[in-house]
Amino acid sequence: MRFAVDTGGTFTDLVVEDDLGDVRLYKSATTPENPVKGVLDTLTLAAEDYNKSRKEFLGGGDLLIHGTTRAINAIVTENTAKTAFFTTMGHPDILVFREGGRIEPFDFSVTFPKPYVPRHLTYEVSERIRYDGKVIENLDESKLIEQIKELKEEKVEAVGVCLLWSIVNPIHENRIGELLLEHLPGIPFTLSHLINPSLREYRRASSTVIDASLKPLMEDYLGGLSTHLHEAGFLGRVLVVTTQGGAMDAEDMAGSPIHSINSGPAMAPVAGRHYSNTDSGIDTAIIADTGGTTFDVSLVRGGRIPWTRETWIGQQYRGHMTGFPAVDVKSIGAGGGSIAWVDEGGLLHVGPQSAGAVPGPVSYGKGGKEPTVTDAAVVLGWIDPDYFLGGAMTLDKVAAEDAIQNYVGDKLGLDLHESAFAILTVATENMVHAIEDITVNQGIDPRGAVLIGGGGAAGLNMVAIGARLGCKQVIIPDTAATLSAAGALMSDLRAEFSATLYCHTDDFSFNSVNEILSDLESRCIKFLDGPGADSLEHTIEYTAEARYPHQIWEIEVPLHQGKIETQADVEKLRKDFHRTHKEVFAISDETSEVEIVGWRANVSCKLRENTNLKVMETISGNKVEDNRKAFFGSVGLVDSNVYRFEDMKDNVRVVGPSIIESSFTTIVVDPGSEAFRNTRGSLICEQSS
Amino acid sequence: MLEDDKKQILSDHPSLDGVQMAVLNKRMEAICRKMSNTLLRTGRSGVLNSARDFSCCLVTADNALLSVNESLPIHVLRGADMMAAAMQQFHTELKKGDAFIHNSPYHGGSHPADHTTLVPVIDDDGIHRFTMVAKAHQADCGNSIPTTYHGSARDVYQEGALIFPAVRIQENYQDIDDIVRMCKMRIRVPEQWWGDYLAALGAARIGERELMQLGKEVGWDTLEQFSLQWFDYSEQLMISAVKKMPHGEKTIHTRHDPFPGAEEGIDIKVRVLVDTDKAKIEVDLRDNPDCLPCGLNLSQACAETSALLGIFNSIPGDVPTNQGSFRRIVLHLRENCVVGIPKHPTSCSVATTNVADRVGNAVQRAIAELGDGYGMAAAAAIIPPSIGVISGSSEMTGGPYVNQIFLGWGGGAASPSNDAWLTIGHIGNAGLSYLDSIELDEMRFPMIVKGRNFVIDSGGYGRTRGGEGVFCEFGPTDGPMEVGYVSDGNETPAEGVRGGGSGSCANQFRKDPDGGLHQLDPCAQAIIPEGHTIVSYSCGGGGYGSPIDRDMYEVAKDLKEKWISNETAEKIYGVIVNQNGDVDVSATSLKRSELKNETP
Repeated sequence: MRFAVDTGGTFTDLVVEDDLGDVRLYKSATTPENPVKGVLDTLTLAAEDYNKSRKEFLGGGDLLIHGTTRAINAIVTENTAKTAFFTTMGHPDILVFREGGRIEPFDFSVTFPKPYVPRHLTYEVSERIRYDGKVIENLDESKLIEQIKELKEEKVEAVGVCLLWSIVNPIHENRIGELLLEHLPGIPFTLSHLINPSLREYRRASSTVIDASLKPLMEDYLGGLSTHLHEAGFLGRVLVVTTQGGAMDAEDMAGSPIHSINSGPAMAPVAGRHYSNTDSGIDTAIIADTGGTTFDVSLVRGGRIPWTRETWIGQQYRGHMTGFPAVDVKSIGAGGGSIAWVDEGGLLHVGPQSAGAVPGPVSYGKGGKEPTVTDAAVVLGWIDPDYFLGGAMTLDKVAAEDAIQNYVGDKLGLDLHESAFAILTVATENMVHAIEDITVNQGIDPRGAVLIGGGGAAGLNMVAIGARLGCKQVIIPDTAATLSAAGALMSDLRAEFSATLYCHTDDFSFNSVNEILSDLESRCIKFLDGPGADSLEHTIEYTAEARYPHQIWEIEVPLHQGKIETQADVEKLRKDFHRTHKEVFAISDETSEVEIVGWRANVSCKLRENTNLKVMETISGNKVEDNRKAFFGSVGLVDSNVYRFEDMKDNVRVVGPSIIESSFTTIVVDPGSEAFRNTRGSLICEQSS
Repeated sequence: MLEDDKKQILSDHPSLDGVQMAVLNKRMEAICRKMSNTLLRTGRSGVLNSARDFSCCLVTADNALLSVNESLPIHVLRGADMMAAAMQQFHTELKKGDAFIHNSPYHGGSHPADHTTLVPVIDDDGIHRFTMVAKAHQADCGNSIPTTYHGSARDVYQEGALIFPAVRIQENYQDIDDIVRMCKMRIRVPEQWWGDYLAALGAARIGERELMQLGKEVGWDTLEQFSLQWFDYSEQLMISAVKKMPHGEKTIHTRHDPFPGAEEGIDIKVRVLVDTDKAKIEVDLRDNPDCLPCGLNLSQACAETSALLGIFNSIPGDVPTNQGSFRRIVLHLRENCVVGIPKHPTSCSVATTNVADRVGNAVQRAIAELGDGYGMAAAAAIIPPSIGVISGSSEMTGGPYVNQIFLGWGGGAASPSNDAWLTIGHIGNAGLSYLDSIELDEMRFPMIVKGRNFVIDSGGYGRTRGGEGVFCEFGPTDGPMEVGYVSDGNETPAEGVRGGGSGSCANQFRKDPDGGLHQLDPCAQAIIPEGHTIVSYSCGGGGYGSPIDRDMYEVAKDLKEKWISNETAEKIYGVIVNQNGDVDVSATSLKRSELKNETP
């Protein structure tokens, strides 16, 4: 039996897959003060459902994959370790300057972001290495030892070391590591050339100090999790989901905890890749995960999950860059709780402000005054106020109507239903905007893609978003409510190794490149022999990070093999680059040579046979097919069919306007669209022809 | 079409509601964003791909600025409209597949180094609907010396740039090779220019493609209707913003440092009138010197934009910047004025920065002086050597190199509510540019960067603090390097407002291998021999309000973080801390009342 547990901001999701391949979903409240408790709570819930004691239930498990927001929460709430930063003499403000950049040029009400490590805990080390690795100033060790003593006095809890050009010659960073071990024993540290050997000092330094600052708490948390699971009877392997959409052993993660930032959202595209494959056969997908306050978009392109080098904690330019490639996820403040408002010029806006969980939408009756997307859906008749979350909560429709009329209708001169529909329309447009943002960046045309909806609030406008983008199909999988946890269950054990070596297609240094590539290969093999030893099968993929001469932003080009031996291989690489550049930017310069800056190898190990994850069917019994009045912009207030998802027959089409309800979500099928449940258990929506 | 004619034609077209407006606005923004993304990612020169010194916007067929992506403000508030108008003036027949190159400061261009690609969007019936505009600062533009900021140029002839007043460079989507050849013969490192030209053209073409799709999808009349209503909507927001400002008139004097061709310095006078009854703002720039025999004169686009900048920095950030909101602003310029309308062959080589910054800063200072809680202090003057244009020749670069580097600048202006954004650069940039990675620069050019850091006590003191200036030291590692820069602010700092202090002044030296410092001129092409370095100090920004009104705990934090010295904390801010760095509250209030009495 396998478990996947995703601890989110509000809910802890659990997906259980038993040995027959049947899947069940569970949700319980997250317990922020002690997240391990939330994990054990969901497992208790599941054990009860399986009619077993928790010990017996856990004893049957061989693998638990965990996604956690522990690291990101610690950073956002500034509860990480007190961390010092060692940098090259003359460059104390690397973390202050960042890479410049700013948004909203005329808005001066935003404060300049604080550096991740304050200036008073930044120490300049006397040393200097040149771009080609030559030492031009030796490390002043006696001065360094004095500085380490200061760290002791400051009661520093972690240290990040990032020196210029350590990626080409790590001699000084390594020596500082030795001296830290000797003079500051027990205090964890991170060396930049080990954690993130990539060019550009700010990004590398940022990775380094973030990683160091997480070490004490993630060692505690992951150690505690393993111990508690063990005590509760779980004897299998514990893996933690990485920012890059793979999984790592918990103890390895504790040693490089930066990989656990964004551990949750990175899993949604893994699930998306699976469902686009099983349910549509189309290998390009957009995955949209809608919660209460945020809307996360990720992608699958040609069967691969695209990455970004620029991952920000917080807003772009206003937060901290992790410096790590990560699954490209774009998040915006949009969801069921987004507030609708009209500005002084008479324009309707939805969000980014959110009513959150408290006070929540007006219809929750918990003190919310301003109308939200959820309120609009209630007014439109899309959400049944008496059957919200499977009847767990009753909503106040009248209050929602008043709020929408007062805050939106009166100001725009629209009637109640038109106003509510307008709120959904603008919310849809915001989400479309977010999707376009990331697809533009990754060079994907939504019209050739399927849209996969996940999260509790996905169903309200996913069909409308798909229509607006012109996507071929919209898929709402049976695991949609716990999409990330489902993705964790499908994830592979992964590791990534990289190296910096500059070369040019015009004058290709075969020897150095192949040396680097074979070094990357041997590191992959070492991983396969270690953590990957039990895997069923594995793959190693090599990529080059390349650009045109004078460009500075690289794009990733997959290599066909782990060696580049002939001029023909180089030519192939050059052609692949032109093609990729054209794909992403609509232009290429076929006559130009290409520069390669970095090399990467990704090793991934399959842990289990592919199974057709299918959620166990339960028969609803209580509420049967009926219909109610619902409003749609194109047709007005009309009778709309209402279906229970569990009661739908396979491959039988329902035509919009229809509303499909399950205990986890409500899916709206607009006029002009139709939907059916496929044999695998997903809801497939398409434009009527 | 004139706006009135269009209104007539569209009177049958139903007006769009707030929802359709919001949706179409997002679509227009998305188009400009796609253009920008292309330019940033595909540009070849550092000035584009790392400093983001470019802009993308969309102009209506009657040449009104409609939608702008987040771009350097000095680039786009005014100019795109004038350039599109010049395109129509010189080319009566516009065809699908046309593209124009434009950099003439006498026809709406900002300065000759900003090459603009204009693409008219022609619908399937042959009607010109909109114009896509992509403007990109070039690494070189064929000036007589290797810099794109020729401060001492007597006139456009000595300046030397190739000038293109809306010249057709593509027909039927094919390059007109005559023009391309001319550029390749005159512009240094021609393949770099070629790459940047492709990037800007690609951006404009992507914009064209997207807009054609949108026009087909929603109908061109709907888009015309959207434009009209979007202008009205923007004007409404502007009206409510101006009505909330303090009513009154203020004249601010400021000064650009003496430069070659402007040996006396340039005294600048800016009169600002905020009329809350009429909801209008007037800026008068006429009472200023005639054009000067140097490169500092403003183009008309930059004179107008710099005034608008000071205004938009002083009103809420959500008022869209387009022809609609501009209707509430009246600008008074005069011909042949250093901050007005230059006449050919006046040189405008440095029009986007130095004098333009002085004008924009004066406008926002004037508004600040009209009432507490409004306007801003002055941001830093530039261009210091750390942002200069470097050139030379080396084995590493495979021959000659020329590029603007963006190693470090600071000097943001304090706002009424916030300390400065540190890396603002100058008011015309607004901090949008990226800063260079040391490693990337050392890999691309034969140079070493010995140091880069903010300078303690260099930000203007105040209730909110001005941004600190930046120290930077770098030099060549393979043969000599020429560094071109035009650093205003060596004499006149960025001024504070309402009792706030000025930022520190700029300075620059050549440093010998043995450490000896030699003063360099503020405007020069400095030759730095291998083994020597250039030392650059950029200006600090001005503070807002009296420093003794600054929250004492914030002052203690500034001290702990080494933004200010102990002496400054005590003597300027009147804050006394104990050994642990904690505020001594009673000693502080004593000291502060002492300081209050000293300065009536």
